[in-house]
Amino acid sequence: MDQHRELIRTNGEKSVEVHLPNMLGYERVAMECCASFARIAGFTSDRIEDLKTAVSEACLNAIEHGNKLRPEARVTVTLEIEDDCISVRVKDEGDGIKELPEEPDIVQKIERLQSPRRLGIFLIRNLVDHVEFNEPTNDGHVLKMVLRQPKPSLGVLGG
Amino acid sequence: MGTETRIEVLKEDGLSVFEIRGDVTSSSESAFSDAYRSLKVEGAGKIILRFQEDSYINSGGIAVLIQLLAETNRNKQKIGITGLSAHFQKIFKMVGITRFAAIYPTVEEAKKNLTG
Repeated sequence: MDQHRELIRTNGEKSVEVHLPNMLGYERVAMECCASFARIAGFTSDRIEDLKTAVSEACLNAIEHGNKLRPEARVTVTLEIEDDCISVRVKDEGDGIKELPEEPDIVQKIERLQSPRRLGIFLIRNLVDHVEFNEPTNDGHVLKMVLRQPKPSLGVLGG
Repeated sequence: MGTETRIEVLKEDGLSVFEIRGDVTSSSESAFSDAYRSLKVEGAGKIILRFQEDSYINSGGIAVLIQLLAETNRNKQKIGITGLSAHFQKIFKMVGITRFAAIYPTVEEAKKNLTG
């Protein structure tokens, strides 16, 4: 099957790949897939919520800024479990993040001195244990994040 | 894809409750501005934003809320928030929204504190 027509594919026992249409709203598919994956791996509900929000924001960034809302583009999300970590790679077909947004300042936002938007990267940084931006690939860029689950509660994928 | 934001405005004795249903995203801007514009002088001084615990809220939706708070802050209105899951309570604190709108466990608690 043409891999670009697949939505979800498993890569071995501990990895899953999700191909998303480049449309706002489809980040929910990646969120729910990540949540199921983390649940099976034994992550706690609060860490799963952190993961869902971080994945949603990374996908939104890829759809809006990386792929610039182009309908023919795709976002690929790859999940991997290893030991007590889930790593998520979100690939778009863009040129990478040229400039990371400044730290949000709520007072400046309320006083309309700073845009109310551009909170996604801030949320990702504060919800996951490790994040890397702008890893180049043949046809785009990857945002990689790692979320750790404190032991002991790993489930069937963690052994 | 997703669920459209719907906001029902309930007005009572100098206070309004925004019952927020559906996703809260960048597409929610018109729902929030329509609800805010529907307030008359009475009932506009204190506003409770009541979310559903299973709401999907993303950074675009938080930006819409910040725009609303910018407006209410300018108009010296008191805002309370309720109905959020523990996760989104954490996110709202992280972003700093709670510096401008306190979070309460129930609508009754919010009413008591805003009108007290």
